[in-house]
Amino acid sequence: MAAGPDILIIDDDRDLVNSIRIILESKNYQVRSANNGREGLQKVEEKVPDLIILDVMMATDTEGFDLAYKLNRNPKFSEIPIVMVTAFPQKMAEQGPEGFQHILGESWPVSQFLEKPIDPEELLSAVEGLLKK
Amino acid sequence: MDVGHEIIKQQLFFRKELRERVYWFIKLRWAAAGAGLLGVGAAHFLTPELPVRPLLAVVFFIILYNLFFLVIGKRLESTKPTEVYPFELFAHAQISLDLFSLFLLIYGTGGLTSPLVIFVIFHVVLAGILLSPLSCYFYALVILTALAGLIALHHHNLVPKTTAWIGEPLFFHSLQYPRVLIPYLTFAAGILIAAYLITSVKVALRFKGREVMKISRDLEISNAKLTSLYEMIKEVDAHTSLKDLLDTATRNAARIMGVKACSIKLLDRENKYLRFASTYGLSQDYLSKDSISVSESAINRQILEGSLYTIGNVDEENRFQYPEDVRQEGIASMLCLPLKVEDRLLGVFCVYSGETYFFSEDDADFFSLMTDLTALAIENLSRQTARTWFLNKAAHQLRSPISAVQSMLKTISGGYLGNVVGQQKDVIVRCEKRLAVLQRLINDLLNLAGKRHEAGPLRLKPVDPVQVLNNLAPLYQGQAATKGLKIEFLIPEALPAVAARNELLDDLFTNLISNAIKYTPSGGRVVVGLSAPSADHVLFEVADTGIGISESDLSSLFSEFFRTEKAKALEEGTGLGLVIVKEILDRLGGKVRVESKIGQGTKFSCLLPVVRLPAAAKPTV
Repeated sequence: MAAGPDILIIDDDRDLVNSIRIILESKNYQVRSANNGREGLQKVEEKVPDLIILDVMMATDTEGFDLAYKLNRNPKFSEIPIVMVTAFPQKMAEQGPEGFQHILGESWPVSQFLEKPIDPEELLSAVEGLLKK
Repeated sequence: MDVGHEIIKQQLFFRKELRERVYWFIKLRWAAAGAGLLGVGAAHFLTPELPVRPLLAVVFFIILYNLFFLVIGKRLESTKPTEVYPFELFAHAQISLDLFSLFLLIYGTGGLTSPLVIFVIFHVVLAGILLSPLSCYFYALVILTALAGLIALHHHNLVPKTTAWIGEPLFFHSLQYPRVLIPYLTFAAGILIAAYLITSVKVALRFKGREVMKISRDLEISNAKLTSLYEMIKEVDAHTSLKDLLDTATRNAARIMGVKACSIKLLDRENKYLRFASTYGLSQDYLSKDSISVSESAINRQILEGSLYTIGNVDEENRFQYPEDVRQEGIASMLCLPLKVEDRLLGVFCVYSGETYFFSEDDADFFSLMTDLTALAIENLSRQTARTWFLNKAAHQLRSPISAVQSMLKTISGGYLGNVVGQQKDVIVRCEKRLAVLQRLINDLLNLAGKRHEAGPLRLKPVDPVQVLNNLAPLYQGQAATKGLKIEFLIPEALPAVAARNELLDDLFTNLISNAIKYTPSGGRVVVGLSAPSADHVLFEVADTGIGISESDLSSLFSEFFRTEKAKALEEGTGLGLVIVKEILDRLGGKVRVESKIGQGTKFSCLLPVVRLPAAAKPTV
């Protein structure tokens, strides 16, 4: 079977990484994972993924956003679509950028926002949608 | 301040002065005419040789033209406030006619031998007060010429002989040439000296007047600036979102300082990067720099180290990281200050002008005040946000393990790990349901904790209830349809704004609508309505045809973790939803009423106070 698009999951919750991996692999996506921002950046540099699934809060409150900004600033990586996942309360996730306003300001370096727990269908449709673009 | 405006202000000032004097002049003339009448009357009895009738005619002539001047004066009031010329003309007309009348009186009362001769000096003084120095000297010359003319008339015996009534003349004892030159030249010197003195004093006074005007103008400007600053800080302080707060600050700063652009850059948590948090009047290209590394930007480092940074001409500065961009924006000069509270640095506040050397020392002082007040507002808000952030983080930490479990369960129930059969599926669905309640419980508890321990008074602002409810409607229409319920939203086009906060109104509506849907079995009906029963209140109602609440339960309905037996049997719940509703209504000064009948349904009615705009909302500083 031909290898599907390469997706990188960056999240410090190994159980969650596993769940996402199971869902994505069922649709033939190639899945790599990293447990923190630093490792994530390393893997991006090793091979540019087709899409990144990124957690907001890892070791620091905004590790996910910090990485997203870093990727966004680098022309080599700025085109990679990023799906942000978070266990922050629903209201904050719904508000998107506004919920994180005081740490983010105006710009929003992320393509899509998903609230945890991960709903398999929601995740798959988000990933498919972004890869089509 | 532009030159045109300055000239207009000066013209207004001088016109006012001229106008007041012109009217004063008219008043003086009434007194002079009165004295004239008395004088002629007395002369009639004392010195019958005086030609009373012609003299009386002259006095009536004066009264007549003074009446005329009074009318003209009233008319002139409606001229454009900046026009000085009509008033000058008016003053000339008055002085000329007065001089003419005076010379008629002098002529009729013995020519140069008349004691009235002395009165000519007053006209020089009046011309000096009312008109330009040149006009004053002109009238002095006219008077001297007229006096010379009188000498000539005397010489040809053309002046009526009335000397008997005075005895010795006061000045002109001899009218014979060349002896007449002595009193004449003395008189001429007196008149010219008077003209010189009055015009010199007048010039000095005008100079002082201009100085006073300049001071009063400076005061006006600084008063206007301070009032604007007060308004700005009041507006800035009312915001609950940092973005809105900063946008208000930059927009107002640009307006008050009279500059083309303005920016606020905020530091990240480690004080390593600055990013544009709000800008006004700058292009998108200029802002595309994202974060500015403090270590790489010498100028920003200098500002953050605490000093005022001002550059009168950007071409003279070689430390800009992107000098072309600065020029492309049309920035010619700039003024920047650190935003800080005590020793804590928050960021950098800058104003940019398209003119070189635009900012004065006063501007810098004023901007410093504005910066400090803005920093305080930011600090104030971020304290509040930090609390909310902490609660959100607590929620995140509590939710993370639950959501990981939920995600794993979803991969099982979704069949991603092989088929799920029989009772396995039911158990997993139950697990998911219980976990969902746990999630809600965490949210509700933190929500409540946040509301109960909010520091300081709640900053309420006008919120449009129609908009909030319209945003929620589609979500609940979907939920109701899934459950097989009919839901109806009765929302008018527009209602007065409610004194609240978006998220509070959202929570209030959400809790009551989701309860109604939750506790109404399929086939039932939910009606959600907004209306304005009075000018002071907006009414929010949710009525359902659900399970209902017994009378004995109604009193405990708003207590923590209380759930009716029927509700427990029907749905999972946290027992905190209505506590939150009550908490919100208490904060907004609202009221709630519940009507319910077991098995028939429940109706919640909430009265929410609308925003009251005080009549004297604007402060007078």
